[in-house]
Parts: sequence; C-alpha cells; structure tokens
Amino acid sequence: MSTLTEPTLAARNTALLKGRRRTGWKAARRWVMPLGGLGVILFFIWPYLVMLFDALRPSGEVLATPPTFFPKTWTMDAFAHVVTDPAFHNWLRSSLVVAVAATIIVIVVAIPAAYFTARFSFRGRMLFLGLVVVTQMFAPTSLVVGLYREFYDLGLINTYAALILTDAAFNIAFALWILQGFFSAIPKDIEEAAALDGCSRVGTLFRVMLPLTLPGIVTAITFTFIAAWNEYVVALTLIQDDALKPLTVGISSYVTAYEQNWSQLFAASLIAIVPVVILFALIEKHLVGGLTAGAVK
Amino acid sequence: MKKSLRWGAIVAAATVTTLALAACGSSGGSSTDGKSIKVVIAEYSKDHTKKFWDEFKKTYEKQTGVELKLQVISWNDIDQQTSTMVQNNNAPDILNLNAYASYAADGLLYDSSEVLPAATKADIIPAFVKSGTYKGKFYGFPDLSSARALFYNTELFSKAGIDAAPTTWDEFVTDAKKVEALGDGNVGYALPLGPEEAQAEFAIWLFNNGGDFKEDGKWTLNSAANVKTLEFLRDLNVKDKVTQNNPGSTNRTDGAFSLFEQGKAGMVVGFSPLQGALDSDHPDVKYAIAPMPSGDGAEPQTYGVTDYLMAFKKDGNKDAVKSFYKLYYQADQINKWIKSEGFLPVTTSGLKEFADDPKLKVYLDTLPNIHLTPTDDPEWDKVKLTIQQNIGLAVGDNGDPKKFLDDLQAQAEANK
Amino acid sequence: MRRRRRERGTASPVEALLWLGPALVLIIGVVLYPAITLVATSFSSYSITGLRKGDAGITNYTTFLTSPDLPKVVGNTAIWVAAVVVITIILSLGLAQFLSKEFFGRRFVRWAVIVPWAAALVISSQLFRLILDYYHGILNQALLTLHVISKPIDWLGDPHFTLPSMIAVGIFVTIPFTAYLFVAGLNGIPGDVYEAARIDGGSPWQIYRAITLPLLRPTLLIAVVLNMIYVFNSFPVIWILNGSNPGFGNDTLITYMYKLAFRSAQHDVGLSAAAGVFNVLLILIAVAVYLRFVNWREGSKNA
Repeated sequence: MSTLTEPTLAARNTALLKGRRRTGWKAARRWVMPLGGLGVILFFIWPYLVMLFDALRPSGEVLATPPTFFPKTWTMDAFAHVVTDPAFHNWLRSSLVVAVAATIIVIVVAIPAAYFTARFSFRGRMLFLGLVVVTQMFAPTSLVVGLYREFYDLGLINTYAALILTDAAFNIAFALWILQGFFSAIPKDIEEAAALDGCSRVGTLFRVMLPLTLPGIVTAITFTFIAAWNEYVVALTLIQDDALKPLTVGISSYVTAYEQNWSQLFAASLIAIVPVVILFALIEKHLVGGLTAGAVK
Repeated sequence: MKKSLRWGAIVAAATVTTLALAACGSSGGSSTDGKSIKVVIAEYSKDHTKKFWDEFKKTYEKQTGVELKLQVISWNDIDQQTSTMVQNNNAPDILNLNAYASYAADGLLYDSSEVLPAATKADIIPAFVKSGTYKGKFYGFPDLSSARALFYNTELFSKAGIDAAPTTWDEFVTDAKKVEALGDGNVGYALPLGPEEAQAEFAIWLFNNGGDFKEDGKWTLNSAANVKTLEFLRDLNVKDKVTQNNPGSTNRTDGAFSLFEQGKAGMVVGFSPLQGALDSDHPDVKYAIAPMPSGDGAEPQTYGVTDYLMAFKKDGNKDAVKSFYKLYYQADQINKWIKSEGFLPVTTSGLKEFADDPKLKVYLDTLPNIHLTPTDDPEWDKVKLTIQQNIGLAVGDNGDPKKFLDDLQAQAEANK
Repeated sequence: MRRRRRERGTASPVEALLWLGPALVLIIGVVLYPAITLVATSFSSYSITGLRKGDAGITNYTTFLTSPDLPKVVGNTAIWVAAVVVITIILSLGLAQFLSKEFFGRRFVRWAVIVPWAAALVISSQLFRLILDYYHGILNQALLTLHVISKPIDWLGDPHFTLPSMIAVGIFVTIPFTAYLFVAGLNGIPGDVYEAARIDGGSPWQIYRAITLPLLRPTLLIAVVLNMIYVFNSFPVIWILNGSNPGFGNDTLITYMYKLAFRSAQHDVGLSAAAGVFNVLLILIAVAVYLRFVNWREGSKNA
C-alpha cells in the first residue's frame, strides 16, 4: 500500500523543496497517465480488434482485397457456430484440465525447491540450477519424438497425464528461477524473527515467506498457465483422440487446404483468450506487494 | 569430495531409473493382437472428414468386432506425426498420406495381393493403379482424386473484351495482359509457386508443353521443353508482368485462390474444392472452367492427384486390414466420403455414379486419361520437396530456371 | 558480530533431495529421456520415412555444418535474437514503470497488456500474417489510405522487409511477459529506498539509473537469459510469417531444423536431430558467455 502514497509523498516533499515547478505536473498527471494508458491499451489490442472484426464478418470477406477494418456485413454466425460446437466444448475442457493441473503441479513443486535453493548452500546447488536452465534450452520440436516414445512405453500415450506432466516439467525452470530470486531478496532477519517465534522451517515458509513472494508466485502462475494453455506440438503428438485434444490443436482444423473457415478460426481463438484474461484479472492485484507489505516493521 | 560423489551418484541413479522405466514395455511395436487397428486420416475439412470416419468406425467395429482407433491429423502436421510414429516403430495400421513409394521401398507396406479384393483392384481407374504401383506391386491404394483445370472470371473477361478461354500459351498471355490493363488491382493470372503445392502448378504447365518429369524410366527434369516451361512462368512474372505480386511467395489457399475468390484475378488453375468454395462463399464471382491452354499445340493435358490409404505390415493385422479395405471400397462408403469432401472418384464404377453431377463433368471426362506425377518413384518424394521449397526462387527477378532444373536433375540422378 | 544479509545456511544433500526431489524427478524424467533420444537420433541414419537404417557416425553433423544455407540461417538467428531481446527489454522496462504507477484505469491497461501473451503464438502469428499481407492486409490498406505509401509493400515476401517484420511481431508478443517480470521485480524493491533517494533530491532519471536499475539486476538477468532462450527457440512466428517464402533465406535455426526434417530434399530426421543438438549447444554457449560477461562486470564493480 505504501506504493500508493510513496510518489505522492515524495512529490510533495520535492515540491516543497523545489518550489512550484512540480505541482503543474502533479495536476496534469491525473489525466495524462490515463491517456497514456489508453494509448498502451490500443497498442496491445489493436491486432485482436482486427481479429474480432474478422470473426464478425462472413468467412469470405476475411481475405477481401482490398480489406476493410470494419465488416461490410456484420454476422454472429461464426461465434454461434463455435459456441454450439460440441467439439469446441471438448477442446475447452481439455485445455482447462491440462493447464490448471500443470500450474498446480509447478507451483507445488517449485516453491519448496526455490526456497531451499535460495536459502541453503549444498553440494550440487549450482549443478541443480544449471540443469534446470539447460532443460529449457531444448526446443519442444526436438523432443517430441523422445516424448512420444517415453510416454508410449509408460502406457500414458493419449492421456491427460502425459500432457500435464510434460507441461509441468517444461515450466518448472521459470517458476524456480523467479521464485528463487524472490526468496533470496527477503532479509534473513524476517526468518530469524519467525524462528524466534517458534516456527518450524516449513511453517516459516508458509506463513512468513510466501506472502512476501506473492508477486513472484503470481508471475509463475500466469506464466505456467499460459504456457500450458497455448502449447501445441507436444499436445499434437501425445494426444490422438479428438475428445482429448486441447484448444490449440482443435482450432487448427478450421482452416485446411481445402476448406477455410477464417471467421470461425478467429472466433474460436478469441474465446480461447478469455479464460486466461479472467485468471489474470483475478490475481493481478497481487503483483503489488512484497517487502513493502509491512513485514519487519 | 565425498559429498559431491554422493550427489553425483544420486543424479546418476535417477537417470538410470528413468531410462529403465522408459525402456520397459515393448519397444517392438510391429506386432498387434489383431483386436484393434490404428487408422490415421488426414483432415481434408473440419466438417466432413471426422464425420465420415466416425461413422465408418462404427460400421467397421460392428461388422468385424475389431476396435478401430481413429486419429485425424491436419495436413500441416501429418508428415511430422507419421515420421514420429515410424521412428518409434509404432506406425499405424492404415495411413492416409499423399505419398507411398518411400514406405514401399522401405518394405513397410502390404501390397494389393495381400489385402485388396481383386474386384476392387479391377475397379480402380487404371491410371491410378499404375501410379500406385512400385516395382510391379500395387501399394498405393487411392482414397480420392482431384483434377485441375483453368478457372476464368467471365465478368473480367467480357470487360476486357475476351470472348473465349485461351487455347494456346500466346493467347493466354494476351488475355492476361488484357485483364491486367483493366487496372483497379486486377491481376491477369494468379500463379501460386510458393512452398505449399508448387509442384502441382509446375506440373500442369509442364505437361501442356510436351514435357514430363520422367520418361521411359529416366528423369527428364531439365529437358528443353521443361526449361522453356519454367522460363515461360518466369516471364509471366518478370517480363509480361501479368501475375500477382511475388508468385514465388504465393500459396494457393490464402494467395492465388483467395484473389480469384475476391474477383480480382482473371484466371487461376483450380480444382473442385475451389468450385465448392466459390459457390457457397462467393456467389457474386462469375466464373467458368476450361481445359488448360497448350504450349506445344497438342491436346490439353489434365493434371490429377490422388492421395493414398496404405497399410503397414504388422504381424497379426492382415485380416483386420483386409476387412478395412473391403468396407472402404464399397460404393456406399468411398463415394459417400468423396462426395461430401467435394473430390473426384477413383473407381470406374464411381465415375458412373458421379456422372450425373453437371459441375464435375469437365473433370470426369478427363479422369481416365489423367496425367499424374511420378509418385511411384521414391525419389520423386524428394524431388517434389525440392520443387516445393525452391522453385519460387527460380521465377523471381534473379531467378535462373535452367540452373534450377539442372540442379534438380542432378539431385534426382545422384540418388539412383 | 555483523552478519551479511544474504548469507546462506548449509544443508546436507539428503535434505536437498527431499526439497528438490519432486522438481528433479519431473525435470529429469520428462526432459532427459527425450534429450538422450535426440542425441541418439543425431548419430543414426534414417530413411525419408523415419525408419532407422543404422548408425551414421558423425555424418549428420558434417552434412549439417557444411550446408550452404547455414551461414545465412545463423546470421538471421543472431539478428533475430539480438534485436528482439534488446528492444523488448528496453521497451518492457519503460512499460513496467508505467504499470507500477497508480492511475485511473490502470487495471484495464494491465489486462490489455496480457492479451498478446494470452493469445496462442500460432494464432497471433496467423493474425499478423493476414495483417501484413500484400493484398489482404490491413496494414497496407491503412498506409495507402493515409498516403504514407503509394504502392503496397510486400512485408513478408520482400527480403528487405521479411526479417524486420518478423522481429516487430516477435517484439510485440514478447513485451507482455517481460514487462510483467519487471513489474514483479519492481515491486520487490522496498519503498523506503525511493523515499530516501527523493529526500536526497535526485531527478527521476537519476534515481532510476542509480537505484532502480541496480536493484532490478536479478530480474534483468532472468529476463535476458530466458528471453534469449525462448526467442532463439521460437518457432511459430518465423514459421508462419515466412511460410510462403521459398528457400531458406529468412529461416532461423529452429525453423531450418524443422525444414531439414520435413520440407527439404533431404527430409532426414537424423540430420535434423544433429541440428537440434547444435542449437542446444549454441544457445548454451551464448547464455554462458552472457552470464560470464555480466558476472565479470559485477565482480569488477565490487572490487
């Protein structure tokens, strides 16, 4: 919460020190910032507005030459078709199951590992961190053949489990790195204070450290969920049943060499973005926080 | 020191355990118990492919009691997925792909004597049997076919004062120039030589200039006629300037076809799915279909394509595979699927069944004499890839058609 | 006795195994086996169908390293990674500052910034491919209407524009992730540091350079290293935007590796696996060099 009052406090201090020069900016700030915000919003979503309008026009108009930004013919057909398609419901459900499960696994596994690596030296610490980074360097396309073989031998081909485990494994590195950084930044005194209060190592972790690393956890959750939600080539290789295919794979069937449903492709893609944005909207306020949340004081 | 050794040992043990775990379970996936077959089908369309094959699966399972595991894969990915399966010795039992000869050459497939009813083989159009035959055995069973023809925009033609489709290459260039002269973003001829299906476009022009990819069992890629053909295509782009921008970087679906569908192209080489798209999504475009113009004065040649439904040899699956083909080639199965996807039949009996569709007449008449690419030669699989990937460079401003074909010929001959 | 703030305790390997175990099992179990498969594949000889024909020794590597297209592809990759990472980091730092300030509507801005990240890369690439198209693209249409250009530009097909277009799209889709990394990092900086600095009387820019950036160093390190890896391995943007172009003139190492397996005359998964191993080694060396460079500078600063 102090970030809220910080700039204003500082600004007032400086204004007192430096005279009237700052107050002009402070007043203008109230509308300049939101205006800048609008600019930023437009910058990041304009292509998706194009996509929205392409989803709201007949498929034949999407490749119009010359194109028009707004549809010449407005139609909800594409959205209606996608929303009522049972195949689409299956894909959506698959993506949700896989992404949620993978995210949970990553968080549960990465937190203890990150805490331990940040706080303690042990033989092989550097090796462990190095190994984690190196596994990120393999492109998924290079690994699919081996993954297929591995899960086939384990009898897990064409199951959610295979996909969940793979997505989790691919994303642990990021969660570990970012959480490790956050854990490292917490001063020792806080831990010691908790220990003095009679907390076990695990208890310290949960009740004291975690709240302070919330921004890192939020980032890790966002990253893992999105990565699992948008994963394509591994899902394509490990899942054979149409009913288990996630959105990324399912959506690719709207446009083939012989039949092109551009507006449905874009309608489905837009709908696929919604759950991610909802998840993010729910947790983004926790990106603020950390050490200023009145921990030691 | 001891501690690091212990740590290293722990990691090593974990690795070994993982490998052992992964290696357990049969790695010999080339035998089945005959109780199930795996069928991999390429996704021609979202609406029709899966629908047909789900029903087929039900019928098959009811008839034979064998489980049919169906996997539908997009054309963009099927090559990679098939390779992954083969690399892991886990090929499907039935595979739908646009090539077969390399698989036959590797000894992976059943031939017709083992799994195809004799009556079916007799019913398949002879040209397709020939192109599906490798070293005297018929491996590549066709699933459906398509034929190409020249589509032209009748409105643009009449505006440009052209009253009939061109029959010679000179007429073709003149007509294309007239359409270009109309301005307003209109393109004379939409030429797709991008990596998607460039070999198809090249093939149809090549066949109509008295050339071929192979003649009498020898590669003739850089024959004089073929070089002239490629130079002609390059001239269309560079000299006559009657094509759309950058043909070497244009694919069909979002390039050449879409220009024609928007009514902005005078002519394009198309096939029956394009017709379907025009009729349903772009009814305002008035078009007609004509035979290809000829470069050497001979009869117009039609270029056709079939895809294949091939069967992988595995212990124990022969009977299940036989039942599959028996069911698939029944008229009420195969023709039902072909009709729903908008393609052409592969059997002589099918020809009769499709004959009452006026829209397909122009193709059906040419089907028995159709000219195909040499898909019965495994080397073609590689030649095709080179053409797809690189021919676009040969028709650009700095392109060298002769060198491209010479290199191609050298490549094909080197691997003989 | 004064203790340094960040001193670590020591622990036994057994205890480490307990805390790290699940992560280790997951990573090693899932990634190690396919990695070994990749290496084994690179030393084998394969038919065009994917059937293993036998051992190949190092022929796949020699073929790959002597392919005439490789220099251009490596050059493209270097430009692609450097341009996207550097520009993204710079823009994301600024954006993160902006997103950390309080103002009306900040919530909506944060949601908007997440959208390019939330959308699948394949879909965004497909979208930009249409937007940048010569005939169907809204960009050319807009520029023509505003009389900025008189003839359409072939953003994707003209060799002068292809790589810049791909880089621009790459930056666009990478900024959200990076910016949020920095937002999280910025919020880890205690507020009293700023208060002290402002009372001492520094301009915002001076404060930024002297206080914020150094405190962001750990986050900056993660951002650069991870982005180097992800951008290097990024497949969909290049594949889809370059998808209509012949030859290998605009490929990066990752799409070139794929083409070697499935789109080239060789159609050889062994050759592609050799390329895959090469790619991993290359990015490993690049990251190691970067880390060494950063540590060296930090070391010499503290000396």
